[in-house]
Parts: sequence; C-alpha cells; structure tokens
Amino acid sequence: MATSLLQTSFLFSLHSQLAHSSSNLLCLTSNSDHKFNRVRAAFDNHSTSETTVKATAQRTKINGQFKKLPNFSGEKPSTPILDNIYSPVHMKNLSLEELESLAAELREEIVYTVSKTGGHLSSSLGVTELTVALHHVFNCPDDKIIWDVGHQAYPHKILTGRRSKMHTIRQTCGLAGFPKRDESIHDAFGAGHSSTSISAGLGMAVGRDMLGKNNHVISVIGDGAMTAGMAYEALNNAGFLNTNLIIILNDNGQVSLPTATVDGPAPPVGALSKALTRLQSSSDFVQPCQATKSKLKNGAQINGDSRAISGGSACLFEELGINYIGPVDGHNVEDLVFILKQVKDLPQATGPTLIHIITEKGKGYAPAEIAADKMHGVVKFDPRSGKQMKVKSKTLSYTQYFAESLIAEAREDDKIVAIHAAMGGGTGLNLFQKQFHERCFDVGIAEQHAVTFAAGLAAEGLKPFCTIYSSFMQRGYDQVVHDVDLQKLPVRFAMDRAGLVGADGPTHSGAFDTTFMACLPNMVVMAPSDETELMHMVATAAAIDDRPSCFRYPRGNGIGSVIPPNNKGVALEIGKGRILREGSHVAILGFGTIVQNCLAAADLLKVLGISATVADARFCKPLDGELIRELTEEHEILITVEEGSIGGFSSHVSHFLALNGLLDGKVKWRPMMLPDRYIEHGSQKDQIEQAGLSSKHIAATVCSLLSGGHMDNLQLMSLETNNAL
Amino acid sequence: MSHGIGSAGRKSCFHNCITSTFSTTNSMLQPCSYVAFNSHLPKLSFPLKTQSGSFQNRPRASVVNSLYIGTESLYDLLGISDSGTLTEIKQSYKQLVRKYHPDVSPPERIEEHTKRFIQVQEAYETLSDPISRALYDKQLALSSRKEELEEWRKQWQSQLTRLKRRSMRQDSRANMSWGARMRRRSNQN
Repeated sequence: MATSLLQTSFLFSLHSQLAHSSSNLLCLTSNSDHKFNRVRAAFDNHSTSETTVKATAQRTKINGQFKKLPNFSGEKPSTPILDNIYSPVHMKNLSLEELESLAAELREEIVYTVSKTGGHLSSSLGVTELTVALHHVFNCPDDKIIWDVGHQAYPHKILTGRRSKMHTIRQTCGLAGFPKRDESIHDAFGAGHSSTSISAGLGMAVGRDMLGKNNHVISVIGDGAMTAGMAYEALNNAGFLNTNLIIILNDNGQVSLPTATVDGPAPPVGALSKALTRLQSSSDFVQPCQATKSKLKNGAQINGDSRAISGGSACLFEELGINYIGPVDGHNVEDLVFILKQVKDLPQATGPTLIHIITEKGKGYAPAEIAADKMHGVVKFDPRSGKQMKVKSKTLSYTQYFAESLIAEAREDDKIVAIHAAMGGGTGLNLFQKQFHERCFDVGIAEQHAVTFAAGLAAEGLKPFCTIYSSFMQRGYDQVVHDVDLQKLPVRFAMDRAGLVGADGPTHSGAFDTTFMACLPNMVVMAPSDETELMHMVATAAAIDDRPSCFRYPRGNGIGSVIPPNNKGVALEIGKGRILREGSHVAILGFGTIVQNCLAAADLLKVLGISATVADARFCKPLDGELIRELTEEHEILITVEEGSIGGFSSHVSHFLALNGLLDGKVKWRPMMLPDRYIEHGSQKDQIEQAGLSSKHIAATVCSLLSGGHMDNLQLMSLETNNAL
Repeated sequence: MSHGIGSAGRKSCFHNCITSTFSTTNSMLQPCSYVAFNSHLPKLSFPLKTQSGSFQNRPRASVVNSLYIGTESLYDLLGISDSGTLTEIKQSYKQLVRKYHPDVSPPERIEEHTKRFIQVQEAYETLSDPISRALYDKQLALSSRKEELEEWRKQWQSQLTRLKRRSMRQDSRANMSWGARMRRRSNQN
C-alpha cells in the first residue's frame, strides 16, 4: 500500500517537472516500453491526463513488478530499503525485487550526494547493480572486493556503513574519494591509479591460500584499465598460478576518460577494445580457436569441456588460463546475482574466472547518459537538470594556459607533437587535438609506453611533449631514466598536477617529481611561478633540442599575470633565475608556484619591519649558481621553498652550498618542503596549511631565525593575509 | 469497410485500431488517429479517446504498437534506411501509396495491397512526426537490445554449465600449477 502512495507523490512531481523541463530528457530516462506509454500519455497536453497518468502509473506493472520513477529532484530521496542497511550483512535477506529497488534507491542517493559535494558521478552509477549483487552474494569484509581506480566505489561505501558520512566525501577530514584501507575494513585495497586491482587481488588470493583460508577475492576492473600493461602482467600470472580468483571486467566501451576530446568521448583507444566489442556479438559463438583447431586437425579428441571452445576472442582469456563468462548485462540484478552465486559455489578446482559485464556509464540518470563527458567528474550540480555550478574565475587554469601555449608553439613548428595517456581533458590536450588532430596521440592508460613512444619520436627528430600528471609519471619512471635520459633524447615532459592536488588526495598528488627528475644527469628541470612563466617554459622546452627537459605546474588557476601576446612564450635562458623583490637581510628562494606564497610572506614580514628579498629559481637543474651565491653572500638568512618532497630543489641547493663552501660562512639556511608524510585529501588551502607551506609558515620560519625574535610566532600566525595563502 | 479490412487476416497485432476517418478517395488521406495499446498489460485505465476525444486533433500522437510488421521494421516497410530524412520518408511514402492504393491495384491483389497500404500509412505517420519517430527509434533499439541480451544469456548459461563440469573434476596430479598444489595440500589436511 505504501508503495503506491509513494508512486503517487512521485508522479505528481514528475508531471510538474514535465511541464517545465524538456520532456525529451525524461523520455530518454526510461528503460522500458511500459514507461514509454506513460510518458507518451503525459505528453498530451490536451487531455486531462494528470489524474489518468497517476492512475496509470499506479496500475501498470513491468513484468509483474511495481516500479517507481527515480527522484532526482534535489530533495533527500526516500530510500526505505537503503535506510536499513548499515553493513553488507543486512543485504543477505533481501529478495530480488528488493535488491532492484535498492539499486534504484542507491542511484538516487548517489546523485543526491554528489550533487552536493562534487566528485565522480557516472562511474558509480554504472556499477550500482554490480555493487548490490556483489554485497548480496559475498560476505564483506571476509570476502575481499578490490575496486580498480576506486572512483566507482561510492555505492560500495554507502552500503558498507559510510552512508551517513557521504556528505563529507573528498573534503578535509572526510571520507576519501577512493577506497582506503585506513578508512574501513571493507576497503580491501587502496586505489587511485588504475589497473592495480587484479595484481592486488592475486596477491590476496595467494596469501589466502598460503594461510589456509577459504574466502573469496573479487577484483573489479574496467575496460579502460585493462589497456594498461600491468593488467596483462596480472592476468598472465593469474593464469599461471591457477589460484581461485574472480575478476569482473566492467566494460562500458570507454577507454579514455570521456573528456578526451572537446567534442565528447573518444572511440576506445586500442586493439583490445575492438576485441572486447567482438565478444559482445554472439555470432562468434562456438568458434573453436586456433589451438583447438590444430588439435582437431591432428585427430586429437576434444571433449566438450575443452577450455578453448568458446566465443571468438574469449579465447584470449581462456588461452591465458582464465575461465571466461560473458558477456552479461551489467544492469540486470537478477542475472548478476545468479551468475555470482554460481561462481561462488563452484567447487574448489576452478582457478581464476573472469566475468565480462557490459554496463553504461552514468546509467539511470539522463543528464549523465547524454552529456558529452558523461559527467565523469563533477563539481556541485543541480540534480534536476545536471547543470554544474562551476565557479567563475578571472583566470584560466594552468592546464588551459599550457594547452594554449603549446598550440601557439605548434603553429610555428610542425615537428611538435603531443602525447598523453588517456587524459585528454585532464591535460588540456583535447584542445591541442582539436587544432592538430594528427599530432596528438592518446596511447590509452599506458604511461610506460607513452614515455618510450615519445623517445622513439624524439629519436626521429620530432619534438614530443609528453604530458602526464606528476603522480602518474611515477609509472613510467624507468622509461624516463633508461630510454630517455640515458640516451639524452630530447623528450619534453609536462607534468601537470604537481604538488598537492586537493580533493583527490595523496593517490594523485605530485609530491615527488622534482626529486626523481632532478637527480637524472641529463634532465633540465624547471618550474614556473605563474602562467606567464609557464608559457615561457613551454617555449624553452620546445627550444631545448639536445637533452630531455621537464617542467611542473600545479592544479589551479593562474594568478592573473600578463600573458604574452597570442599565447606565444619566449624561450628563457637556461639556468637563470630571477629576483622578484629586492630586500636585505633575508632571502626567500622559491621554486615553482610556491613563489606566490613567498611573496605573500614577504608582505607579512614587511609589516613587521623585516625586508625580504624574494627570488624565483625557475630552474632546479641546472641551478642558477650566481643567483644563489649572490643571495648567500648578501643576506644573513636564506630560506628555500618548494612544494615537493625531500630530495628535490632544496636538496640540490644544499649540495651546491656545501660544495662551494657557502655554508662555512655566516648565512643561516633553512629548507621548506613537504613533510615526510602523506597529506590527506581536502581543499588545497587546507593541505598547504597542513604541509606548513603557507605564507604564514614561511614568515614564521624567518622570524624564528632572526636573533632576538621580532615577534612571537603565535602572533605571527594569526596575522591576516591579503591573499588566501 | 475500413474496419473490416483492418481486422481481417492480420499478422500484426493492431488489436483495437480505432480509426476516426478513413477516406478512400485519391486525395490526400487524413492521417488516422488511434490509440494502440499493448495487449500484455492487463487492466489498463488508459484513456480511450475516440471520436469525442481530443486525440483527433493530435494525429501526430499515433504510435505503432508492434515494432515490426512481420519481419520488417517500419523503416524496411518504407524502403529507407534508419537515418532517412523527412524528405526521403515522404518520397517513399508517396511512391508506395500510389502503388498500393486499393483504387489503382489490380482486382486480384486488392486485399493484399490494401493491407500493405494501411501498413505504409501507419509507418509514415509514425516516422514523419519527429517525436513519435524518436520514441519508435528508442523502442526499436531496446527490442534489438533485448534480443541481444537473450543471446548473451544463453551464452553465459552454457559457459557456466561447462565451468561447473570442469571444476567437478578434482585437480589431477598432472596439474602442477601452484594453485592446484595448494589445493591438494589443503585437501589432504
């Protein structure tokens, strides 16, 4: 009875929405022809259909079940079933109908939550049914579920007792945006980078076997993450070890993030995606693959159990020694529960099994389904329309400035090419691709390959700009050392998201790039202090043709400095920094955009009557020796500041100072860098505060060194600053 | 006469086709408006607007019930592709109408042609209105999707059966993989 009452109220809200919003949108939301009739009736403005539509809805059934319309109105959704679930244990006794309703309620909850906090939306919507099925069939936390990348784990978090904290997700001291072992025992393995789930799952399965336990291990990986080499390494090993492991391949036909091109999602990159698509066309069914064919030719007996007789390219997995099941409709709870139960109950001697499910990213929420970028990563938005409330800023992001200046360089030099690893939107290269379609390469999630691919291009005389997030560059590090730096090939590395990145947290923060780049003998390492400098550095990198070079820039918007005309930078003199402000007694030498904090600190110090010189090092390698000497000889205090870990800029300066006897004099040198721990997710401002790199901290460090102490550090910390940091 | 032909010897399931006007003159036919409803749904309180209803003023709202007439989709019926433009639809409609109109068809073929004629008529109505065409396209995609899903279901069901059979057999001594060895060991304990 209650359900029909609920339906009534929903329909009224639906109908009123219909009057305002575009009816096409709602029309496309439905996934059944029954709803289609109802919507069609609602179209009719002439008839007095309000009451009839309501009546129709109450009476009509789809396959014998009542189905209520999803509520994306912006009010807290009514979720009777979800309200009773605080742990996966509570899902065991739900009937199939209730599970399906639960999936619908989960969707409403996700849209509601993410609309208020921002975060990753559509990936979670695509796996709602899968999450419900998994928790119903398996027993977390004994059974381990490992989510690859982890941005689709929102329903998992909701179902495992963190629903009440979902409004804090990705904020300081709130839930992490990705699975985290510290956060909950239900998060079996931390994630953030892709393609790690099968490897981790295999490790957990082998560990379980060695300890004599008998829980299940399930790895959920997407078809995009499958393009990374690591996934193959894991599959290869899994087939070889033959231990029991369940792999769920979540195939939504999308390899690169949907922001890959300006006009919308790019067709999947790579030959594997084609193979996976072929799996879906069942005309390939029962086609023995090569090995079987040859065996048959030689007269061998193949019994019906032979592994290799299965659909077309399912052979790929079967040949690797992994049982293949699929394709399966990833949005059908009944099918999923059935298959998972069957696989769970299989006798011991099974080995690894891969279940190939087909889902649609953003399923069930029309604005996400039709958006070009599928609303993959969103800021706060209005759930009724899907319109995001993007904060207007006076300046563009560093990413955009980078893309614009690269386009300007590429216009004049047709040898410039750009490479990225499935991050067209994130790196800004979707803009480059629009201008120079043939000169932009998306290699899929394959950083190692991207680096060596760039090396190959450089060897042929082209000028490759390899644009990879600082954090993801870690994946391709050996290639940087061995294939690029050792051979002194002029590959240019543009490392976006350097330093602390905010809501994504430590999995995405670029804390280490200066450290691991500047220790390489042949690498030129630069960092701009603002967007103008960034453009000049793009030009500088383009001009460096005899050795590799790199530059790093953070997540965020520019400060509003004057950019060169037509976005075309001018190459800087290599190994030369600049002095931004003259002072005496105290010198603050910054590397990268942290220089802005140094300037703010100098302003603070001025209030206290301390005059400070602020310098922008520009280059970490080669260091501007003259500048450092000058600063050391003319000042009593030298502070070096960088937004990177130990072993980076400050370390290089310290070695320089020591080797040149500059520490033997009267100067007091102090380094400031990221502390020796991971900074948790939160707003960038909070993170900088936590790291102790805000302008107040810099000024406080200076004050603590001045003899006599001009001011109590506590008083200093509570001074108001003009700019945010 | 129209109803008689409408209900005789049908292969498609236009059960309760109510036509308000059906002129058999050569002039431009008034598109008939009707409500078709799904026979699967039991008691529907769907508003049945006939002559008195305002549906008459909304001929565009007509929607075919079954997606395929025989084995042909509405597009096949009109002989155009799925992405045919409105002009193409109109052209082929006019051609087919001239061919199948009962008045111009040879007497031995009248019944067959008239049936065809009605079908073409309805196809044209659905596809010429952008809204009903969009709805029809969506339904068509859904139904071919349903078939595809059925195929998949059969496939994975047989895969599961095979897998079960395969796993029934204990790890033979010949299987020297690490996993098999561990399983044998734990079975012994």
